[in-house]
Amino acid sequence: MLTRKSDSAAGSARRLRGAAARPLGQTMDRRAFLKRSGLGLGAGAIATQLPYNLIGAADAAAPGVSRGDGPAEVRRTVCTHCSVGCAADAIVRNGVWVHQEPVFDSPINLGAHCAKGAALREHGHGEHRLKYPMKLVDGKYQKISWEQAIQEVGDRLLKIREDSGPDAVYWIGSSKHNNEQAYLLRKFVSFWGTNNCDHQARICHSTTVAGVANTWGYGAMTNSYNDMQFSKAAMYIGSNAAEAHPVSMLHMLHAKENGCKMIVVDPRFTRTAAKAHQFVRIRSGTDIPFIWGLLYHIFQNGWEDRKYIADRVFGLEKVKEEIMTWTPERVQEVTGIPEEQVFKVAETLAKNRPSTVVWCMGQTQHTVGNANVRAMCILQLVLGNVGVSGGGTNIFRGHDNVQGATDVGPNPDSLPGYYGLAAGSWKHWCAVWGVDYEWVKSRYASEELMTKSGITVSRWIDGVTENKELIDQPSNLRAVVYWGHAPNSQTRGAEMVEAMKQLDTLVVIDPYPSATASMAAMVRKDGVYLLPACTQFETVGTCTASNRSIQWREKVIEPLFESKPDHTIMYAFARKFGWADELVKNIKLDKDAQGWDEPSIEDILREINRGTWTIGYSGQSPERLKLHMKNMHTFDVRTLRAAGGPCDGEYFGLPWPCYGNPEMKHPGTPNLYDTSKHVMDGGGNFRANFGVERDGVSLLAAEGSASKGADLQMGYPEFDDVLLKKLGWWDELTDAEKQAAEGKNWKTDLSGGIIRVAMKNHGCHPFGNARARALVWNFPDPVPLHREPIYSPRPDLVEKYPTHDDKMKFWRLPTLYKSMQDKVKNISSEYPLIMTSGRLVEYEGGGEETRSNPWLAELQQEMFAEVNPKDANDAGFRNGEYIWVESPTKARLKVRAQVTQRVAPGTVFLPFHFSGWWQGEDMLRYYPEGAAPIVRGEAVNTATTYGYDPVTMMQESKTTLCRVSKA
Amino acid sequence: MGRMKFLCDAERCIECNGCVTACKNEHEVPWGVNRRRVVTMNDGVPGERSISVACMHCSDAPCMAVCPTDCFYKTEDGVVLHDKDKCIGCGYCFFACPFGAPQFPNGPAAFGARGKMDKCTFCAGGPEETGSQAEYDKYGSNRLAQGKLPLCAEMCSTKALLAGDANVVADIFRERVLRRGTGAEVWGWDAAYGGGERKQERKREGRS
Amino acid sequence: MSTPILKRLTLLAVASGLLGGLAACSEVPQVTVYEQGQYSGKTDTRPWEGGAFNGDREAWEKALRERARGQSEYNRIQ
Repeated sequence: MLTRKSDSAAGSARRLRGAAARPLGQTMDRRAFLKRSGLGLGAGAIATQLPYNLIGAADAAAPGVSRGDGPAEVRRTVCTHCSVGCAADAIVRNGVWVHQEPVFDSPINLGAHCAKGAALREHGHGEHRLKYPMKLVDGKYQKISWEQAIQEVGDRLLKIREDSGPDAVYWIGSSKHNNEQAYLLRKFVSFWGTNNCDHQARICHSTTVAGVANTWGYGAMTNSYNDMQFSKAAMYIGSNAAEAHPVSMLHMLHAKENGCKMIVVDPRFTRTAAKAHQFVRIRSGTDIPFIWGLLYHIFQNGWEDRKYIADRVFGLEKVKEEIMTWTPERVQEVTGIPEEQVFKVAETLAKNRPSTVVWCMGQTQHTVGNANVRAMCILQLVLGNVGVSGGGTNIFRGHDNVQGATDVGPNPDSLPGYYGLAAGSWKHWCAVWGVDYEWVKSRYASEELMTKSGITVSRWIDGVTENKELIDQPSNLRAVVYWGHAPNSQTRGAEMVEAMKQLDTLVVIDPYPSATASMAAMVRKDGVYLLPACTQFETVGTCTASNRSIQWREKVIEPLFESKPDHTIMYAFARKFGWADELVKNIKLDKDAQGWDEPSIEDILREINRGTWTIGYSGQSPERLKLHMKNMHTFDVRTLRAAGGPCDGEYFGLPWPCYGNPEMKHPGTPNLYDTSKHVMDGGGNFRANFGVERDGVSLLAAEGSASKGADLQMGYPEFDDVLLKKLGWWDELTDAEKQAAEGKNWKTDLSGGIIRVAMKNHGCHPFGNARARALVWNFPDPVPLHREPIYSPRPDLVEKYPTHDDKMKFWRLPTLYKSMQDKVKNISSEYPLIMTSGRLVEYEGGGEETRSNPWLAELQQEMFAEVNPKDANDAGFRNGEYIWVESPTKARLKVRAQVTQRVAPGTVFLPFHFSGWWQGEDMLRYYPEGAAPIVRGEAVNTATTYGYDPVTMMQESKTTLCRVSKA
Repeated sequence: MGRMKFLCDAERCIECNGCVTACKNEHEVPWGVNRRRVVTMNDGVPGERSISVACMHCSDAPCMAVCPTDCFYKTEDGVVLHDKDKCIGCGYCFFACPFGAPQFPNGPAAFGARGKMDKCTFCAGGPEETGSQAEYDKYGSNRLAQGKLPLCAEMCSTKALLAGDANVVADIFRERVLRRGTGAEVWGWDAAYGGGERKQERKREGRS
Repeated sequence: MSTPILKRLTLLAVASGLLGGLAACSEVPQVTVYEQGQYSGKTDTRPWEGGAFNGDREAWEKALRERARGQSEYNRIQ
């Protein structure tokens, strides 16, 4: 157990991490390289002082190392770190994961892995995992039995439910659950009787999902990593793919090799920027002015796609009025980017079509997140790039299954498949679940609370600490269940420990619960329970990659230690709560090795198939998905389409929407809204989800702009029983289908008949054919407007571009905008530097899992802050020294200074994967014994500030302020 | 079969360290020992380039030349290996190596016990019975004997790191260079072959 | 089955051993010759002898060539 690291050891390992070339800006000549690599000797020697080195010996004796006897079995799985979806083959002997082999056949990663993917096998060791249930007793974690854990936790939660109602418990689910677990958790929480559940998507791409879906139908990545090989130009804005989605770069660099122009727009010269043709340095939080600046040049030069706009876009004139006010001077004033750079990017995107755009957290995690992403959509619409191979908005999601958990998992504002919370949606799902709607309703405190969106994970702390009178639900939150989510990924960490202190009960269910565990133990003596869940390598299930492809994971090994799969734990609690039978009405139970009941993953997936018509999670049966995993080599790498073989004509992983039931054999949709293909070949068009007209203007697509081969070549509304009858197609339904479809629409017809007739018989899209909305009238800023961040470094611009007005009831909580911004308007005089955050390639998310993996931890041993030489010199510290980074919350982070020109003067960058230090103090003593990660450091979010998107409650974590000083 | 070689394409390497952890994974290399590492030049400024470096299995290997106990040998396919039972851990090979490949762990770890040198084996094991526990404990996996190539290269995230028979690797790389049409940005190429002039020639031929 | 693999003769080494693999790209050979010391350790088997290939060198070479294809995505993307 590593408890201590000397500075010198840490220093030498930092050197190993690359770059020997830390001193910035120096060209590394061979001599320097020699000199520094020589220090590798030192690293080896120092390593002996690291208690950790013992792991080598332990490993040597561990079964994992044994070349072992027994036949080698190959289990195909998928990396659990990011959303690219890299397949890996695990070689297992006698139940031990002994090797990991690349899957060259995978059309997604072709065998490639980044540091995290190449280190997957360490999950088979799991030395730093939570090994058994634990309970906080007098400030120390003690081992308890599973039985005791379920009883005590269950009793405490039931007591709270009785005293304060079901909404007093908050359930934080996970984007690292597989689809089946995520889905089951939403059902589980519904039966508990609350919408107070959420997961990482809230703080990842919630603004994307809302903004993009409201523009044209679905809120997902339109194309795929693979399809970027068809792009002639690509602009990454707020995405550091080389670190966050490394294997996606395989496709991009291949495209680049074949002529694609690559542009990176970022406050930071990222490793992605190092590979780009053009790098544009932008002031954090000024994306909209930059995008309007691009569109200004596009319109000025007549580069817009007029026919596309006329046929398929609604409301662009209004937006154009705003755009044309963003003259190059104004753009430069706000963003800091000179005209010629903006022009060059605009020209590159316009003259190299199809061009694509990529964005990630750099766009979404802002108080203007929803508007940022809509501006990006508008850019692509104006260029006619959407629904086009090589174009689209390639929105890279974060976790391995954040797309799937968003689609079918625990969201506070919708049921699986984005069905919403209206009574009709509830009735639909109750029918699928085989439970009585009235019974589910009776589980809720009231019908009103059943149809009202819950609190978001970004704000649960306010659900605890906010004045009771101001909360839009009967009680404050009294218990929180962290079911696969890191606490250090949410902003305002300093306030989070206060909230943790006030809770009655805190439950953490996770393979690596330690960040939450240690924060809680720092401020509490009891009332905290840790339950060991296993990883996705210890169970089966499906995960949805960013490109909407769904892959099936085989179980590699049995759950380690006393851990259990999440769905097994859900069932155990459902039994305790008294509605186990309702939870698994259509789902078979299997006994695991210890005699626990495990709900069948296959059956859960079939239930998802039966209910999730909206986004086409209905065609991906377990059988079809497994067939794809076995026949990966038959799929084309660029189109993802199988040529011949058992999956002939299908797209890899049946990327959703894969409409209709599995028997309809929809091939999946590689690129959304693509009118050049027949709907049964994965074609489509924009969705009619917002009515048929607005202010007397039709919202439906123009004549002749429907998907290839559709019987209706004009715009048309979504399909329901009435439209089918009007068109005279009703009799194409079978009698059984007619019975099921009567009074239903394509989303609620459980027979799938309406979809079958529309698509298969008539080539029409069940969701209609409409225009994309450049003007989203139901959002706070129908035309995306620039608004300065709440903590802006520019008081002068706050005057010109103020934020929104405060909101009193917003996701059940009062939310501050203007009053907050006014209060801190001049705070940049004390905190002059922009503080922003991002990813490192070695770690993922909150980082507890990856920092517990020695192969990864060795590469990044310390939390650091990137500071420009100018700011470092002004503050009087040097590279490698400890510094304090202090934010307006007064929270202080003690980190190593990485003095580098990667960031511009005035910007400080911190990676967000660290936890385990609290304002200068190592929290080791608060961890459950044996479950602390190898590497600990300050969590950037301990110091982040207030600020939320006015549509989705996305947290502002990319633009706030700080000051730095020598520690 | 000819000579086994590594080649790292600096135009593709994104410093993701996948090669480093793949190596750790395949051989259970202990903490503090790095058979492979990624080195970055011009870190954080335009012109930033990274390459992955391990033992380059030199044709004329300086480590072999200087070793006082002559514990090195070169296989028929050009892989430089050594016998840890003969190694005295003097570190002379480390001074001789232009790449800092030899590592000297000094603990109870599996590799290099008692201070013996450890380095990249091109996933070819060492002089113990192929596939035996003894071979694995001292040298790691022997993928070559299984008809597989080094895992670092096989798993490289952008296929920047290539490994295998020199001619095959050269073919792969050549195809990329031709596609790019802008000369070979492999590390050290210009210095070794005067890239500037050749680039001009290609330009005149209208290939870029 | 352990065959001595050591070639005891002198090795021809290309000066820039790093890039030796790119012989096809017309490098100028700068040859040095040196007498290598006598290897003193245990003998090793050739990769096609000790493992899965039972001495079938051709099969082994074929396997490696096949495996090397995985390193170039151009083999799957035309």
